[in-house]
Amino acid sequence: MTTTETRTYAPEHTPRLPLAQLAPEFYRAMVRLEAAAAKGLDPVVYELVKIRASQINHCAFCLDMHTKDALASGESVERIVQLSAWEESEHFYTEKELAALALTEAITVLTDGFVPDEVYERAAAHFDEAELAQLIAVITTINAWNRIGVSTRMVPGHYTPGMYKN
Amino acid sequence: MPARTDRLSADVYHALAAASAAAKEGLGDPVLVELVMLRASQINRCAFCVDMHLTLARKNGVSERSLDLLQVWEETDGVFTAPERAALALTEAVTVLTDGFVPDEVYERAAAHFDAPALAHLLALITVINSWNRIMVSRRTPPGELVWQ
Repeated sequence: MTTTETRTYAPEHTPRLPLAQLAPEFYRAMVRLEAAAAKGLDPVVYELVKIRASQINHCAFCLDMHTKDALASGESVERIVQLSAWEESEHFYTEKELAALALTEAITVLTDGFVPDEVYERAAAHFDEAELAQLIAVITTINAWNRIGVSTRMVPGHYTPGMYKN
Repeated sequence: MPARTDRLSADVYHALAAASAAAKEGLGDPVLVELVMLRASQINRCAFCVDMHLTLARKNGVSERSLDLLQVWEETDGVFTAPERAALALTEAVTVLTDGFVPDEVYERAAAHFDAPALAHLLALITVINSWNRIMVSRRTPPGELVWQ
């Protein structure tokens, strides 16, 4: 008797539109934006922000990419898993990371009303002005990638770390 | 109300400005561009962006009636064209991702009015204005401040 069960997964969807090919100039500017935004931001914070915004915006492709990138750069499974409930698992993160996560949520969900002073001030207490500007830029940029990924329905599951690096 | 910070890396600014220019040029219709820019800025409550795009909309010949009724476009008749309405529906879906994805009917409706390159640039434009909204709201850039041009 075998205990092996054959699992049948749902079929993979196809992307809606090859945006990078159809809007190459826009896409090149986005790649430049990404590089410019990432400059000077703590790389650990960078990946946490990327993952958290992608969770909020439900970007499957982005989650595939950024969880793999985080793991590849040495991030722990526990910290990645706890990210969607980080307010209840604060002891997994540093105060600086928590401030960045709070700012990520505020800037990602603008429809609930602006970016509260206390959230901004908390971030400003942990990041100097230059790094804070980069943090805001990274949050903005992942929100842009999330919009591209979700609207064109990019397919998760095929990313390998480093595949977009030159 | 002063801005929270004047810091914005020149590289970030120029890259986003280039993305903006490419999206606008690819779409080609300045009235549609401003309607999309303004609607996203309303949803994201970006005071600076609403102010700027109201000015640009008027400059590009968007009617006062369209501007007055943009916020309630779904309930209007004879104010916005069918492609504009499809683009506005797409703008709302792509701007508010927290409610869940971009529905097929919204996407298909836009695809029925815009060919693939135009649709790609429309999505690019919605992405770009969402980026400006986030930068200006986080920095709390006051309306009217000239950080552009």
